[in-house]
Amino acid sequence: MTSSQQVLLSPAELSYLHSSLSLTPPIRPDGRSPTQYRPLSAETGILPGTNGSARICFADGTEAIVGVKAEVEKTKRKWDDDAVYTENSHNDDEEQQQDGRGEASNGNGNSDWVELTVEIPGYRDDDPSTVFLAQMLSEALLADGGFIKKLRINRRFHWKLYLDILLISPPLSYPLPLLSLTTHLALLATRLPRLKSEGDEDPFFDDDWAAAPYLYSRNPTTKRIAERPPVTLLVMAVGGNIIFDPSKEELAVADVALAVSIGDATTSQRSQGEDDRMDVDSGNSGGRNLKLLSIRTVDPPSRLTPPGVANAANSAYGHAQVVNTGANQKMPEARQTESEAVEGVWKPPRGGAKAIVMGALVQKVLVRGGVADEVLDALEGVDTS
Amino acid sequence: MASLKRSVDSDPLAANISNKIYVRSTKSGKVQKIVREVYLRQDIPCSSKLCQRCLVCAPKDASGKPTPFVLSDSPAGTKVFPQGHYLVPDTNAFLTAMDLFEQDSAFYDVIVLQIVLEELRNRSLPLYNRLVSLTKSEDKRFYVFFNEFRLETHVPRLEGETVNDRNDRAVRKAVAWYGEHLARIKEKDAPAIVMLSNDRDNLKKAKQEGINACSLADYVRQLKDGEKLLDMIPETQDQDQIKEKRPGDNLYPEYFTMSKMMTGVKNNLLHQGIFNVSPYNYLEGSIRVPAFPKALLVLGRENINRAVDGDLVVVEVLPKDQWKEPSIQVIEEDAITKNENPDAEESDDFVSEKERKALQEEVKRTHSKTTEGHAQPTAKVVGVIKRNWRQYVGHIDQSSVSQSAQQGRKQDSVFVIPMDKKIPKIRLRTRQVSELLGKRILVTIDAWDRSSRHPSGHFVRSLGELETKAAETEALLLEYDVQYRPFPKTVLDCLPKEGHDWKVPQSMEDPGWKDRQDLRDLLICSIDPIGCQDIDDALHSRPLPNGNFEVGVHIADVSHFVKPGNAMDAEASIRGTTVYLVDKRIDMLPMLLGTDLCSLKPYVERYAFSVVWEMTPDADVVGSRFTKSVIKSREAFSYEQAQLRVDDSSQQDDLTKSIRTLLALSKKLKQKRLDAGALSLSSPEVKVQMESETSDPIDVKTKVHLDTMSLVEEFMLLANTSVARRIYEAFPQTAILRRHGAPPKTNFDELANQLKVKRGLDLSVESSRALADSLDRCVDEKEPFFNTLVRIMATRCMMSAEYFCSGTQAYPEFRHYGLASEIYTHFTSPIRRYADLMAHRQLAAAIEYEAIHPSTRSRGKLEAVCKNINVRHRNAQLAGRASIAYYVGQALRGKATEEDGFVMKIFSNGFVVLVPRFGIESLIRLRDLAEVEPQAEFDAENYVLQTSGSREVKVELFQKVRVRVTDQKDETTGKRGVKMELVRTC
Repeated sequence: MTSSQQVLLSPAELSYLHSSLSLTPPIRPDGRSPTQYRPLSAETGILPGTNGSARICFADGTEAIVGVKAEVEKTKRKWDDDAVYTENSHNDDEEQQQDGRGEASNGNGNSDWVELTVEIPGYRDDDPSTVFLAQMLSEALLADGGFIKKLRINRRFHWKLYLDILLISPPLSYPLPLLSLTTHLALLATRLPRLKSEGDEDPFFDDDWAAAPYLYSRNPTTKRIAERPPVTLLVMAVGGNIIFDPSKEELAVADVALAVSIGDATTSQRSQGEDDRMDVDSGNSGGRNLKLLSIRTVDPPSRLTPPGVANAANSAYGHAQVVNTGANQKMPEARQTESEAVEGVWKPPRGGAKAIVMGALVQKVLVRGGVADEVLDALEGVDTS
Repeated sequence: MASLKRSVDSDPLAANISNKIYVRSTKSGKVQKIVREVYLRQDIPCSSKLCQRCLVCAPKDASGKPTPFVLSDSPAGTKVFPQGHYLVPDTNAFLTAMDLFEQDSAFYDVIVLQIVLEELRNRSLPLYNRLVSLTKSEDKRFYVFFNEFRLETHVPRLEGETVNDRNDRAVRKAVAWYGEHLARIKEKDAPAIVMLSNDRDNLKKAKQEGINACSLADYVRQLKDGEKLLDMIPETQDQDQIKEKRPGDNLYPEYFTMSKMMTGVKNNLLHQGIFNVSPYNYLEGSIRVPAFPKALLVLGRENINRAVDGDLVVVEVLPKDQWKEPSIQVIEEDAITKNENPDAEESDDFVSEKERKALQEEVKRTHSKTTEGHAQPTAKVVGVIKRNWRQYVGHIDQSSVSQSAQQGRKQDSVFVIPMDKKIPKIRLRTRQVSELLGKRILVTIDAWDRSSRHPSGHFVRSLGELETKAAETEALLLEYDVQYRPFPKTVLDCLPKEGHDWKVPQSMEDPGWKDRQDLRDLLICSIDPIGCQDIDDALHSRPLPNGNFEVGVHIADVSHFVKPGNAMDAEASIRGTTVYLVDKRIDMLPMLLGTDLCSLKPYVERYAFSVVWEMTPDADVVGSRFTKSVIKSREAFSYEQAQLRVDDSSQQDDLTKSIRTLLALSKKLKQKRLDAGALSLSSPEVKVQMESETSDPIDVKTKVHLDTMSLVEEFMLLANTSVARRIYEAFPQTAILRRHGAPPKTNFDELANQLKVKRGLDLSVESSRALADSLDRCVDEKEPFFNTLVRIMATRCMMSAEYFCSGTQAYPEFRHYGLASEIYTHFTSPIRRYADLMAHRQLAAAIEYEAIHPSTRSRGKLEAVCKNINVRHRNAQLAGRASIAYYVGQALRGKATEEDGFVMKIFSNGFVVLVPRFGIESLIRLRDLAEVEPQAEFDAENYVLQTSGSREVKVELFQKVRVRVTDQKDETTGKRGVKMELVRTC
């Protein structure tokens, strides 16, 4: 699966789609505005045996469930293992050790504190595209340093999270946005048993599940979630337009497609200083502070579509005026691609995305009060308690 | 999108399904969220005999008969509930006052809610087991009601509700439901349902909801004779009020949290072990931990930190500058804390002045020491993993009773002094001080708060007047946890139906004869102490044509009667051993087997398990075989009779000749054993002679050793060793064996040093052989007893032998140090020891007599059995000795004799004298020497105590002294004991 299955559209149809998406404002086949997401319905807590779970259904019929399981694991330590917990070091040196050595451990071993698996019906779990999806999703989680810190129990132990992400409908569209949103909700609903032990003791937990705190803590009075897990948005550019949450057909004519992961930077950013907020349009007071966590280009299927043939070059229209050289006759398509773009003739995009387009895409995602905000607001409306 | 969650609207049965979510932490450190669905039902009966409706849904047995209901149709009433009542206690009621529920006078018709039972199991397993056995007893009428599964009584947890609140609500709901349920059924007055709780909040809510509820104390007051029972409600219930005291009053440091201790122990920073209190000094304890070869000392009240002898505790090693030597002073709790007032909370002076003084002495001594090397590592207790509190026998300290208390019936605090000196005194609140004074009483410890100097406990029952035989014997049995109740019916049902008329079947076709050898024609006889009824073993010997001898040891075939896995086997495995007291024997097996059917009585045919050897005249074993057999003993001798017969040269019959042969062979066997390095150890053994009619003790005799005793002993050792080899060969992983570990060399340090300093003797301890030889050299020309004294002291440095399962140890560890045998087991006394019975079963399987039972083959089971019988064996020994000590005291009553004694141990303020004639040892304190306590100079290096002032004596270790032995009743403690006075030194 390269972003989506092969699209069964003729070059003429592709060309039509491409040009209607390139209009200002673009006209999308399903009538959405360029920044509009597909409607979705969501619920959490569907799997009682998990620490947290969620399910999202998109209006086009795609559906995913995510379950989060947590296990206590001993933190591997690279430095001297004799430096075990003692009463004294606990009291006096803890701060220092935590800053010095503790950071080191956070830097080292913690990418395997999360294990994320994606399952798409009809695909093997070692299929490159599945692996790529899983990689993109876990990359976003790991890039958000605040997330990993939440998994730390003490200097010797941490939680290991297992995220099982299942697409339960056939992949009607590229499932990345769906999976990312479902994962986001599942993590919001995730609770970990309450720790009763102190310091660097072997962890010991409260057996009362009702007392288990959320991984993403709530404000005790407003019940609002202070921090949120990252979300990965799929954005594409066609002509001069930027289109969010493309459908399968739209993706088939994309010039560029990007998976942009963003995080909510409300608390953690503030402590790191003002400079990091450079992406944010400070003039716009509505919405939240977003931070960019990762970008991946997604190879759009449009690159594999067969090109259309201009009437001028089509012998079927009786234009046999060109005296072909032998080479040209052998490679007619090669010649045609090099020709100029002709209005109404489909020409697959070639070459990499332009930096300026990428910049515009990212800018559009991160804009305050933009799509990302809308999405996060919508997800906030889901009851995750 | 339809929700995937189970919704109430869509599912008509949703109301019948609930769930329970909790976090489970496993031993391996895994933490899991567990979700259980609970299916609610309406067919759980209330089990009241008054109720007709529930009869329909009562569970039925295989023949379709409903199980009978438990709760009585005419329950007892109280002052407040004259119409009768059922009790519904909450968890706390059981936790605090289980003894009350076990009373015979009240507490019938109790509804035990499932939620309460489960909570109790989580809180205290022993209490849970006691409650379960109560629910099984038919006459107490305890019914377990599964309230969590009954639709009407199930209580879902509300948002933000704590587990405890929810459980309390569940209890109230069940009480309310029972009330309604029974009210609807009866035309006449239905019994009241009364909730018992000590939780004030719960009681208040119950009142609001209109439920009958009482606190334990209120309820007991309603009962007839309730005043007495009030004492059994532990003091802790008043804690709510006391708790609000000043928080700074805590006398003891707080314990670490469990997780902190576990982490520390895992990382080897803290150590875990069993806490033992020194018998001479109640402020000194020791704890053996796997990390160090020598025990760690725990000194002083604060470091002991509320640990009681036997508790499993965690300790932290103290810095080196606080290391100390074990004390050289006798510190007895009764003496030092004699005049404490049990009512006052002596918080201002936690370590009392006297205790402080005693400790000062210690410090002085450590400082005066030139050599630092003697100091031992010390530790402090930082937490208790598991309390080993049990019920303790003791008596009320007369001096702690105030005058007013003796008359009135108001609740009063007194101290109970436990019989076991290692247990601290227990503060007890009781209303019956005047009745309990001078009685042996049974108490339990409830709690030991940080703010209280002594543990607090409550009264369980009275055993009777001090010094009456019944009370003292029962006290002894309780103290050593000996199961002395009569055998239950289920056990007696396992006995052969024929009873005493059982005989070895006449017909050889009988299945009992299968694979059994007929040895009835052999001249077999048994030799035992006088009056022995449970004859385990018998012997024979006969010359063989080739000049060798055939020697047979025949052991009672108990495994024929006690089949593995039945009730009798279970009971025997719990009892573990027969306990011999001076006037009483507590059997492991029912009388019928022990003294008749199994016992190898003379002139009758009996089943036996025989070990038969061929031996050269030099007592070398040429061959051995094992067989089940039928024998007929010709005669049951006592040691004395056998000795006389052997010595009488006019006796020339075959039987006597065979005994002579055995005697000759046994001497050679013994010599071989000694050559191999077997130790001959010693402990002071005496025998109490009883008046035959009244069985009152009249005299004490030391045991005389006869050749015939070692005759039996040698062949038993040989049989045990042979069997051990055979079963180990057959079951390398699961054979039941007995080992005696080599004692650590450090155990002998003290004794070796004492011998060197006092007598210039060397004690070499490299091997048992070296030790045996050097013990032989420890003789004093003038004093024949000196050698025995040294042997007694050496014995106390040894490890104790133990049973084990062969798979748990490496072969070299099998060694029996004392007997210098590579491998050893117990086989020869199956009537009185459970280990022997197991060995019998294994040997029977090894010789393919019968198939092995799974329980005799499972290593886990065997390990549990070994652990139990090791404890029982030790307790039986201690109980036996305590019984002798008590009777020696009784025999001396009113008499005063002068005897020779020897100084065994010497302290800076007293010394211990052993009187071999009575086998007793006792402490003589400096203050006992003269009216005014003499000054004393203690030379610890040379073990000399020189007194001056009011009386001048010089006491040395190993010295022979002349003492006057009297009995004395200590007025303050009400305890009768042997008292020694120094007459003169010799």
